[in-house]
Amino acid sequence: MLIEYMIVSALLFAIGATGAMIRRNFIVILMSLELMLNGAGMLLITMSYYLGNVSGQIMFIFVAAVAASETAIGLAIVVMMYKRKGSIDINDFSMLKK
Amino acid sequence: MTQIVFFILSLGTIIGALGTILCKNAYYSAMWMISAFVSLAGLFVMLNAPFVAMLQIIVYAGAIAILILFVMMLMDRRVLNNKQRFNPQYFWGIILGVGLFSDLAVLAFKFRINISNAGKSLTLHGSNTKMVGDVLFKHYLFPFEIIAIILLIALIGAIVLTKKDEEEAR
Repeated sequence: MLIEYMIVSALLFAIGATGAMIRRNFIVILMSLELMLNGAGMLLITMSYYLGNVSGQIMFIFVAAVAASETAIGLAIVVMMYKRKGSIDINDFSMLKK
Repeated sequence: MTQIVFFILSLGTIIGALGTILCKNAYYSAMWMISAFVSLAGLFVMLNAPFVAMLQIIVYAGAIAILILFVMMLMDRRVLNNKQRFNPQYFWGIILGVGLFSDLAVLAFKFRINISNAGKSLTLHGSNTKMVGDVLFKHYLFPFEIIAIILLIALIGAIVLTKKDEEEAR
C-alpha cells in the first residue's frame, strides 16, 4: 500500500505544478499551489505512518501554517493588482519588465 | 475493504485536483479544490492521523477556501473568468508536469524502507491527539513559536499591502 499512497501524492504534486504552469488566472494558480503543498504534506503523513514516528504529522501542521500565510500574502497581492490594473490575468502583471 | 475505500478516496482527490486546474469558472475550481481536500482528509484518517485530518478540514477546506472565495466575490465576474483559460505555451507546461510525475513515480517504485513498525507509536494512551500534543510541545516547541511569528508577519504584510496610500486617501 505504500507505493499507492506515494503515487497519489506524486499525482497531486504534479497536477498542482501543471496547473501553476498552464493557467492564466492568478487565483487558480494560488489554488494549484495549495494542491502542491497538500501533495507534499500527504507524503509526510504517509511516511509518519509507515515509519511509526509521529514527527511527520507535526511537520504537516507547520506546512499548513506556512500555506495559510502564503495564501494571505498571495491574496493581498491579487487585491492590490486588481485595484491597480483591473485584471487578475498574470500576463498583465509584468510591470517589473518595463 | 481497505483497498476499496482507498480507491474511492484517492479517485476523489485526483478528480478534484484535475477539476481545480481545468475548470473555466474560478468558482467551480474552488469547489473542486474543497472536494479534493475533504477526500484527502479521508486518506489521512486511513493513515491513523485523525487529528491532522480534522486540521485539514478546518484549515484548508474551511479557512483557506473561504478566504479565496471571499476575495473572488469582491471582484467583477467578467474580470474573474477571463476569456483565455490557458497560457499560449500550455503544451510545454503539460509536458513538464507529466515528466515531473514520471520522475516521482520512478522514485516511488525504487523506494525501499523497513516498514516493520508501520502504524506503531502513533498514539499515547489510545489517542493520536495526545501524542501529537506531547511531541509538539516537548520536542518542537521552538519551531512552534517561530511558526506563530511567521503567521503574525504574514498578516501584517497582507494588511500593509492592501491598505490605501496616504496621497490616495486625501
